[in-house]
Amino acid sequence: MTIDPTMAVNGLGSEWSVGSIGSVEAPASATEGGSGFGSMLNDAIQGLTDSQTQAASAAQALATGQATDPTAVVMAVERAQLAMQMASQIRTKAVEAAQTIFQTQV
Amino acid sequence: MSMFGGMEISASALTAQRLRMNVTAENIANAETTRGADGNPYRRKEVTLEAVGQDGTFGAQLSRAMGTSGVVAGGVQATAVTEDETDGKLVYDPGHPDADAQGYVRLPNVDTVTEMVDLIDAQRAYEANVTAMSAAKQMFAKTLEILR
Repeated sequence: MTIDPTMAVNGLGSEWSVGSIGSVEAPASATEGGSGFGSMLNDAIQGLTDSQTQAASAAQALATGQATDPTAVVMAVERAQLAMQMASQIRTKAVEAAQTIFQTQV
Repeated sequence: MSMFGGMEISASALTAQRLRMNVTAENIANAETTRGADGNPYRRKEVTLEAVGQDGTFGAQLSRAMGTSGVVAGGVQATAVTEDETDGKLVYDPGHPDADAQGYVRLPNVDTVTEMVDLIDAQRAYEANVTAMSAAKQMFAKTLEILR
């Protein structure tokens, strides 16, 4: 089954969609050495978006009566929720670290 | 084993137990069915469960560890739904449409008491797996609290 990324916008599971995170541009220095921090972050965010889209399509399949296995729906939603919680925590940590650097006395 | 390995294992068990519940319900529903698709009385069905990921070859282990095999290592899956081949009770009922020349009717080999026990068994096993799944989820959520 192909997942339509625009489905969640007008579909039922709009609360699951991540929205316009888009693609994170890798810094120019990273492209020379192959994969850098930027591409790693890009992969991580792409995985997060995928899990959110899967949860949205699973929730829609359940609502329209097309879901054959409710356990799979529950797993998709739980996986998306926990992955989002972890990403949110890591983002908070990263922002804290950046602020610590900004507050350095010169 | 992936990040959600424990939950995936429990999810496979939930699917398997739901199949057991469905098959038991089918047996109870057909407890009086004297005419199946082949003309014979209904035979009770049983689910055979198999542990997943016990294949010990290096390639199988590696593809499971990489998460490329598509199966949940340590989970369970239903491999077969087989028919119980024992014969059912022979009851004297000459007025029955499926009675033979001597007036006997062959009933299905479904014992309602056995099916009820199977039903309770599947129900409790489902509950146990739900508990295991929520325990795995709570552990993961607790791990995230370290970051706070």
